Amino acid sequence: MSAATHQDGPKAAPGFLRRLLSSPSGAIGLAIVFLLIFCALFAEMLAPYNPTKMGAGGRFLPPGGDHLLGTDEFGRDMFSRILFGSRITLLIGAVAVGISLTIGLAVGMIAAFRRGWIEAILMRSTDVLFSFTETLIALSFVAVLGPSLQNAVIAVGVAGIPFYARTCYAAALVETAKPYFEASISAGAGPTRLVLVHLLPNVLPTMIVVATLGVSTAILAAAGLSFLGLGAQPPTSEWGYMLAGSRDYINRAPWLMTIPGIAIAMTVLGFNLLGDGLRSSLDPVERK
Amino acid sequence: MWRFLGTRIAMGAFTIWITTILVTLLIHAVPGDPVQIMYAQSQGTTPEQIEEVRRSLGLDRPIPVQYVMYMERLLQGDLGATIRGGQPVLEVILQRLPNTLLLACAAMFIAIVIGVPIGFLAAYREGTLTDIALMIVAIAGISMPHFWLGLMLLFFFALELGWLPVSGNGWLNLILPALTLGLSNAAIFARLTRSSMIDVMSQDYVQTAFAKGLPKALVLRRHVLRAGLLPVVTMMGLQFAFMMGGAIVVENIFSWNGVGRMAVEAIFQRDYPIIQGFILTFSVVVVCVAIAIDALYAVLDPRIRRS
Amino acid sequence: MNALLSVKNLSVSIGDKALVEGISFDLAPGEVLSIVGESGSGKSMTAKALMGLLPPMASATGTAMFDGANLLAPHSKTPRGTGIGLIFQEPMTALTPVLTIGLQLTEALESHGLCSKDEARRRAVDMLDRVGIPDPAARMRQYPHELSGGMRQRVVIAMMMLLGPRVLIADEPTTALDVTVQAQILDLLKEIVRETQIGLILITHDMGVVAEMADHVLVMKAGKAEELGPVRDLFASPAAVYTRDLLEAVPRIDAVSTRSGLDTQTLLSVRNITKTFQTRGALFKSGAAHRALDDVSFEVRRGETLALVGESGSGKTTLGRVIARLTAADAGQVMLEGTDLTGLNGRDLQTRRRAVQMVFQDPYASLDPRQTVGRTIAEPMIIHDTLTKTERTQRVESLLDKVGLSADMAQRYPHEFSGGQRQRIAIARAMAARPTLVIADEPTSALDVSIQARVLDLLEGLKQSEDLTMLFISHDLAVVRQIADRVAVMRNGRILELGPASALFAAPKHPYTRALIDVAPVPDPARKRGKRPVLRGDYPTGPLREADVGHWVAT
Repeated sequence: MSAATHQDGPKAAPGFLRRLLSSPSGAIGLAIVFLLIFCALFAEMLAPYNPTKMGAGGRFLPPGGDHLLGTDEFGRDMFSRILFGSRITLLIGAVAVGISLTIGLAVGMIAAFRRGWIEAILMRSTDVLFSFTETLIALSFVAVLGPSLQNAVIAVGVAGIPFYARTCYAAALVETAKPYFEASISAGAGPTRLVLVHLLPNVLPTMIVVATLGVSTAILAAAGLSFLGLGAQPPTSEWGYMLAGSRDYINRAPWLMTIPGIAIAMTVLGFNLLGDGLRSSLDPVERK
Repeated sequence: MWRFLGTRIAMGAFTIWITTILVTLLIHAVPGDPVQIMYAQSQGTTPEQIEEVRRSLGLDRPIPVQYVMYMERLLQGDLGATIRGGQPVLEVILQRLPNTLLLACAAMFIAIVIGVPIGFLAAYREGTLTDIALMIVAIAGISMPHFWLGLMLLFFFALELGWLPVSGNGWLNLILPALTLGLSNAAIFARLTRSSMIDVMSQDYVQTAFAKGLPKALVLRRHVLRAGLLPVVTMMGLQFAFMMGGAIVVENIFSWNGVGRMAVEAIFQRDYPIIQGFILTFSVVVVCVAIAIDALYAVLDPRIRRS
Repeated sequence: MNALLSVKNLSVSIGDKALVEGISFDLAPGEVLSIVGESGSGKSMTAKALMGLLPPMASATGTAMFDGANLLAPHSKTPRGTGIGLIFQEPMTALTPVLTIGLQLTEALESHGLCSKDEARRRAVDMLDRVGIPDPAARMRQYPHELSGGMRQRVVIAMMMLLGPRVLIADEPTTALDVTVQAQILDLLKEIVRETQIGLILITHDMGVVAEMADHVLVMKAGKAEELGPVRDLFASPAAVYTRDLLEAVPRIDAVSTRSGLDTQTLLSVRNITKTFQTRGALFKSGAAHRALDDVSFEVRRGETLALVGESGSGKTTLGRVIARLTAADAGQVMLEGTDLTGLNGRDLQTRRRAVQMVFQDPYASLDPRQTVGRTIAEPMIIHDTLTKTERTQRVESLLDKVGLSADMAQRYPHEFSGGQRQRIAIARAMAARPTLVIADEPTSALDVSIQARVLDLLEGLKQSEDLTMLFISHDLAVVRQIADRVAVMRNGRILELGPASALFAAPKHPYTRALIDVAPVPDPARKRGKRPVLRGDYPTGPLREADVGHWVAT
């Protein structure tokens, strides 16, 4: 987000933010994401209990009273677990997207800029990986590295690379064909200048939208792996893992299922809305 | 058109070939000794037995030789034997693959039947309350983790209401997993259809059709729908791949006896021959479906059909 | 004679923003009314209002009496197709890509219940034949992408005429077409009007087309009518100041050109350039080859303006790009002041190429949207010169001043500028590199005619004051006549004629050049013209031969 406003130029920044906030999806998305960051930053202060402390209250206490969102099978406070879970979730999203975005940007820009056989090799292999689908890549990685949250995040990050690389490549191809880029070539600009001064700032807006929407995908994928037991291991307060544990008590304590689910859905919704909002405020075609 | 399909088929074959290489390398990427890891969980394995397995898998030979051995066996339809039970991997997979394909196809059907009309309606009513409401539902649908949706459906329809069985492999058992997988993808189809239709409706040729005095229904049915569905068709191959991926999770929730559930179990048990077989099967299925969708697209779009 | 269509006080607005205000005109049978104006004048909106095809947010007021009914009354339905037909600008997008030509021609006949299926087919074939489409029965089964732009526009015209409208609105029907095709389409429209006595509303920005086609002219500016009158009166003695300015700004192909080239030494020498584009297959480099440049040689003299003229696909843009080393040639040399540019690479190329600068067609894509105008202009200096920051700022400001912009604009971003202003900035950037040769590729094609005139003046002025040599690439012969010293006419990757502007325009020696000059619309309704010469494909394309002093023609 901050990078987007920066890249839009100091003059255009206020207009951009105004456009983002005036679109309902952008405003709601931003609010949800801020709330989430707030929870993650101040989890220690906000949480009434230690999230991993067993027997903080009774077992299976329904929501309300001392325990706002009830307690789980070990008597851990659900509200505290959800708060600390937001920290893990955001970290998962940030790291996984960080991996996909950095490598995807590099691959896409190099392929579009260098052309020739470098382009052919990079984009053909990206195409092959893309047709594997992210799930299969992530699963293969976990199969090799073994189940753990860290490995799941790496797996999700790597699995995202083909999509980021393709999107970046497509955007970069459009930019390198534009007259302003060719004018810079004519002026004698070298590769470094062309890529860093002209190409990167112009593909970044697109990639920021992709990355924002990508946080949603990454969180969903990592939570899915944790749900299967291939990601976060006990006693982590990871939402997907919490959801998996709730299956055994689905009749006795349905809130164990609903609460982490809502937490994931709201987070993902927040990033999806923010991404949609960013896209329409950055895309001049949709700008009315 | 044959040229178009030819390149697609070549590309697909290339993908599968790369997969066979990656699958051979996979076992070497495992940190530590793969054979030790595989047998770590079963007791009473003697070092002699481990050496025997190593030899039979060819793991004592150089990697290129291993690859050639693997390919030789693969071309004879031999995907190796499972670590646990020693059954042929191909047999295990073929036994379960139909279940996964059934689930994915059913989900695809639900996703299209629900998603495309919603997207069309939203585009038709662009900017109205109907459009906004439908798109809120769609984005909520995309944001909902399907494993959670699965649990909720399970909770209400199987446990609370008792209408449908919790698990098993009959026709009734198909409904919940297919709904789980189908509903979240319906949202994707709805959004895609909407944006494609809106794009087409602003085209000159739609204006021209109106300028001829054609009734709105005819313009929508003949000019907008046909052109607007083409991008949706191109997305179907990718969507099917997503469904196959999603099936892994959904099969586990509903204990649906497909290859996804098998793969997750295999990862836990470090049963690498099964994992290798699964990855290969998955990519073959995805590639075949993608080629089928491309063929469908080529038939539907005259710009490709007649080139 | 009774009016077919009588428009009184037509206004269109979105919310409280007026797009069209108080337009009135009458249209008689067999009459051509031209609505002329620059972009944003509201001319297309007027047509859409009459057709009842306004966007949902827009509303129209006033009266438009057609067939006893007011088309603008609430809930009134324009008899689209059968009463009034509409033809759009872009023939490439006016036909639905996934339906056959036949279906698109016949569907409205059937839907209106005008005739049976078989009858509709028969009529469609006849109409295709009538609009000059060869082998019409076979075309019925084809899809739009299998036809050329000109053919598609004929199909659209046939599609509309089949329904027997009494008024036809054509919104810039030839703007997207090459000049030779434009001439054929205009002839077709004229013939249709004469034979069927329909009323034609021709919306255009091109005064040449107006002069050639119109009986009456409505000049619009910013949503308002500036002037309405018979075409001869309007051209002879325009009443409105705006009309006069507009007419003055139009470059004339029949203007007297005294330019005959300078007799100075050679600056640029292009030798035997060949370039073939390979349409790439997905996996393998196969596919059809397209020869964009075929053994092209010519020289540019120091201080002159040489124009490369041709229709789309002639190779003129590729040639410009090869000289600027933006596209690599397959064979041949580009000698600039004794250095072969095609042989340079890496650092050498980066330092040498500043001598050749380009000005591109699209003003909106010409400037990096993420860089201030100042940084954009300063870029060549940052790369090559060792100037201090203050010196650079001063030079940027003086360049802005030279191109007619103010120095404080350096801090702003491109999106804050109009198309004409952006083109000025792009010119300033080119000048910042202190080039010896400027290649201007259709620099004014995307601009309105009044802005075009000012940008051309700017280029001409800079050429004098900065001692430049210019290669001017254009499809527009009238513009070329105004700015060029010498002209090279290109087609299918070859130069067919090259000579001094005065000689080439006064006495073209190649049949293709003659045809190009003949078909260009001239903004003079008095100029009589017979049936256009049919452009044959079998004219000479061989090597150039000097037919007169400095005047070369293909043999």
